[in-house]
Amino acid sequence: MRCGDFRQTYAADMAIFETSFARRLLLLFFAVLLVVPAFASSFWLDVLNRILIAVVAATGLNILTGFTGQISLGNAAFLAVGAYTTAVLAGRLGLPFPVVIPVAGVVTALVGMVFGVPSLRLKGLYLAVATLAAHFVIEFTITHWESMTGGVNGISVPAAQLGPLVLEGDRRLYYLALPLTAGLLLFAKNLFRTKVGKAFVAIRDQDISAEVMGVHVFRYKLLSFGVSSFYVGVAGALLGYQARIISPENFPITLAIDYLGMIIIGGMGSILGSIFGAVFITLLPELLRLAVGPLSSSFPQLTTLFASLKMGVFGLAIVLFLVFEPDGMAARWHTIKNYWKLYPFSY
Amino acid sequence: MTAMRNLLLALAALGLSSARAEAQEIKVGGLFDLTGITSDVGKPYAQGAQDAVAWVNEHGGVNGKKIKLIAVDYGYKIPEAVSAYKRMVGDEKVIMINGWGTGDTLALKEFVNKDQIPYFSASFAGDLTDPSKTPYNFFCAPSYSDELRAWLSWVKEDWKGKGNAKVAFFYGDNPYGKAPMEAGRRFAKENGIDVVDEEIVPGNFQDATSQLLNMKQKGAEYAYINVTTTGVSLILKGAKALGLTTKFGSNPYGFSEQLPLVAKEAAEGVTGVVPHVPWGENVPGMKAMMDFHKAHHPNDTHDAMYVRGWTYVMVWSEALRRADKAGNLTGPGVKAAAETLRDFDTGGLTSHLTYTPTDHRPTTKTKVYMVKGGKLVFVKEYEMPRRADWLGL
Amino acid sequence: MEFLLQLVISGLVVGSIYSLVGLGFVIIYKSSSILNFAQGEFLMLGAYVCLAIFATHRVPFLAAFALTLLFSVLLGVLMERVLLRPMIGEPVISVIMLTLGLASVLRAVVQGFWGTDTRPYPEIFPTTPVRIGPLPVSQGYLYSVASVVLLLALFSVFFKYSRAGIAMRATAFSQQVALSMGISVKRIFALAWSIAAVVSAVGGVLLGGIRGGVDGAFALFGLKVIPVVILGGLDSVAGAIVGGLIMGVLENLAGGYLDPLLGGGVKEVAPFIALVAILAVKPYGLFGKVKIERV
Repeated sequence: MRCGDFRQTYAADMAIFETSFARRLLLLFFAVLLVVPAFASSFWLDVLNRILIAVVAATGLNILTGFTGQISLGNAAFLAVGAYTTAVLAGRLGLPFPVVIPVAGVVTALVGMVFGVPSLRLKGLYLAVATLAAHFVIEFTITHWESMTGGVNGISVPAAQLGPLVLEGDRRLYYLALPLTAGLLLFAKNLFRTKVGKAFVAIRDQDISAEVMGVHVFRYKLLSFGVSSFYVGVAGALLGYQARIISPENFPITLAIDYLGMIIIGGMGSILGSIFGAVFITLLPELLRLAVGPLSSSFPQLTTLFASLKMGVFGLAIVLFLVFEPDGMAARWHTIKNYWKLYPFSY
Repeated sequence: MTAMRNLLLALAALGLSSARAEAQEIKVGGLFDLTGITSDVGKPYAQGAQDAVAWVNEHGGVNGKKIKLIAVDYGYKIPEAVSAYKRMVGDEKVIMINGWGTGDTLALKEFVNKDQIPYFSASFAGDLTDPSKTPYNFFCAPSYSDELRAWLSWVKEDWKGKGNAKVAFFYGDNPYGKAPMEAGRRFAKENGIDVVDEEIVPGNFQDATSQLLNMKQKGAEYAYINVTTTGVSLILKGAKALGLTTKFGSNPYGFSEQLPLVAKEAAEGVTGVVPHVPWGENVPGMKAMMDFHKAHHPNDTHDAMYVRGWTYVMVWSEALRRADKAGNLTGPGVKAAAETLRDFDTGGLTSHLTYTPTDHRPTTKTKVYMVKGGKLVFVKEYEMPRRADWLGL
Repeated sequence: MEFLLQLVISGLVVGSIYSLVGLGFVIIYKSSSILNFAQGEFLMLGAYVCLAIFATHRVPFLAAFALTLLFSVLLGVLMERVLLRPMIGEPVISVIMLTLGLASVLRAVVQGFWGTDTRPYPEIFPTTPVRIGPLPVSQGYLYSVASVVLLLALFSVFFKYSRAGIAMRATAFSQQVALSMGISVKRIFALAWSIAAVVSAVGGVLLGGIRGGVDGAFALFGLKVIPVVILGGLDSVAGAIVGGLIMGVLENLAGGYLDPLLGGGVKEVAPFIALVAILAVKPYGLFGKVKIERV
């Protein structure tokens, strides 16, 4: 166990892992995650993959909203851009996934930056509203560009492949999604130790002071839109590979709200928070289903009520977190950790 | 690690308490819409199917084996359907599925083909009838395309004016809405009917005034509405408010005893295709339903959608019976058994059904009904030829 | 010509409902700078509550309507008291998410109680259309436009002459000054939420009467109204009314003329395309207060 720490160098202060013990613990956790598929049923594999996708997307959104302070309601549409790019590149052109996934990310980043341009003039509420409009415009485009997207009928996505290697099914896809997610998380964590990341945070805290300090606000805002959308695009690519068929219904406006809910519940401006939030929001309906499932044979009306129950619990979770723990699960996690750090001598 | 494994196993067992099935149970997946945009017709259908399974189990089951229907509400959302499908097939190991909408059935057609899961959809999309493309897809009614052709045939007979009858199509912006339209356009062309207008309504529309005005502008005398009952009623009421004289017709999911109840006098004179008889119709197959109704929920009211759900179970439970007799109670076994059904009679609940390995058009006979005095009244039955170029359209 | 007129008239009717919901948005925004994404849910809830009181308790329709308004007042006060007060001083995103979470809860409550079926509405308005010149116009439409005009007049008088109205304007101008003048800002906030809930409920009941039924889709009005308030200016009551009518007409014209060309869906997306244009050209809307700020 570790207890109170004492840092002597700036490097130590900046380190991602405060102690080597923490690093080892994380590696152990990663190793556990690697062997989980051996024990998980196909349903839980599906859930695991969906969690990983949500983690990537929520991290992307957190970079934009939590770290740079730009509210976006357009992330479901950006996710769609990534997924449809994947469908077209992999389905029509038969490209392998090491090409498809980065390209999907870059395309989404470009689209995200286009819709980020209003942030030049707008902030706060108005930006939220502009990205909301972006959502509907992108959705309309996808629905009506039938020759490219298949319209409302959807478009099928082949399994991720690289030469003879075909990642068919959730189990194999997991081994692509897990390292990818881990890498992206590490990158995000590092990003905020660099000049770029610090500029993002400066813009969030006070845009005028940031400008005074020499941060080119507009450029960094756009960059934030770009980085964030890249993450969301990669998540979209994974979603395409996982769902195997995508249609505009995969990307409703409520999904954008779900992602915002993830970072609110997890903790804004915290990478760990994105993970917590994504896990929580993705597991919530599944756990509810588990809880309700055995009951529904004796109370058949529960099947009908389930959809509203899911919605209600989701809304309630957001409201309760905002009122009682506005900094999210990540903050609560730190509180708990700090309590045990000095246990039983905490003050 | 064993602790981890036990935990996961426990979780899995909790989630799939039904996984501890006895050997004498046949697991069938049920994908229903109870809360989505088609829940107005999805709920009675689901109840019909669930009641029918209960009735089959009460009456000897499938050669003594009980059917266990694993019902899931997917809210008419394709992603939810895919996720529920993975759960049913991957974890619950169902051997066949009773599905619902067109969009999700088409989305799942590659999955069911790969996993060899016979899939009886409540969608009658013509695309699903060609076994060389969709060998595992079945439905128990004339296809949407044949139904539209039948209705257009009625229009042709009803039209007494000069020149060609002018017809408009109203449909939802989804695969179900669009399914029969190409067939309808071609049939109209071949038969001297002018399709003057096509109006698309969004999935969850509230107001069709601008579409109706457009249709009025184009001078359509007849209009076929291809959305569910709530939408049909909205369009009919809107037309009445605008004082339109267009004669409306409806697809099988917009036309049941519910329509005159919701649309009131705006439903008067509206025609509709009825592949499964209305509740209480005087046919032999209705008796079992009536008995079950009296025994379990005598105060409920039912409609043609309920009858449809019931009829489906009658058809596929027979396929299960035949597969079981052949000793091959697996996906491919059930498919092969279903393809032995020849002129299968459901006691008059629907036309006689025939499936062959080369043609999954169960029937091409469609009944047209009309709302008269708030009741559904039989008008005429139309039979379409089994043209080869119509297979899969 | 008749086609155009019909489109405009039905656009004005839907627009008048947008105006009512927009009014609720603006009143809340004006007094407390909160954009309430649950406004559409207030509309839906109002429509359902009125129906429930009317249908299950066999009271006359007007009494049921009055009870619904009373319910809305209480709902508004409750929302403000329990949820919004802790949010004072929190970042914009938290407040937006709070109203989104609230919207989710309200929708769940409505779905849990009344299911997802369309519930038939009592016939509030006579169904026979009246003719204005050559055009048949449904009577419900006329009532709906009339009530919007009435409410607008009422609010103009309220803000101009009543103590509470003046206090609300003062609060909108500056909370600190208002406080120092002895105005209870908390009470003003509660009042704003009540008014917003009430006007939305009126909109919900009118809409139920016009459509002849109520279902979950009523909640979508909440999102639809955002372009309206941006067009009118987020802090302008007159702007909400004018914006609502313009958006209603715009939407119908897009539906009438562009839908046949582009294959549907233009009607739904048109307000949002307009929204992007407004934000680019005139972000503070037609009547909004222009705040000059370097971003």
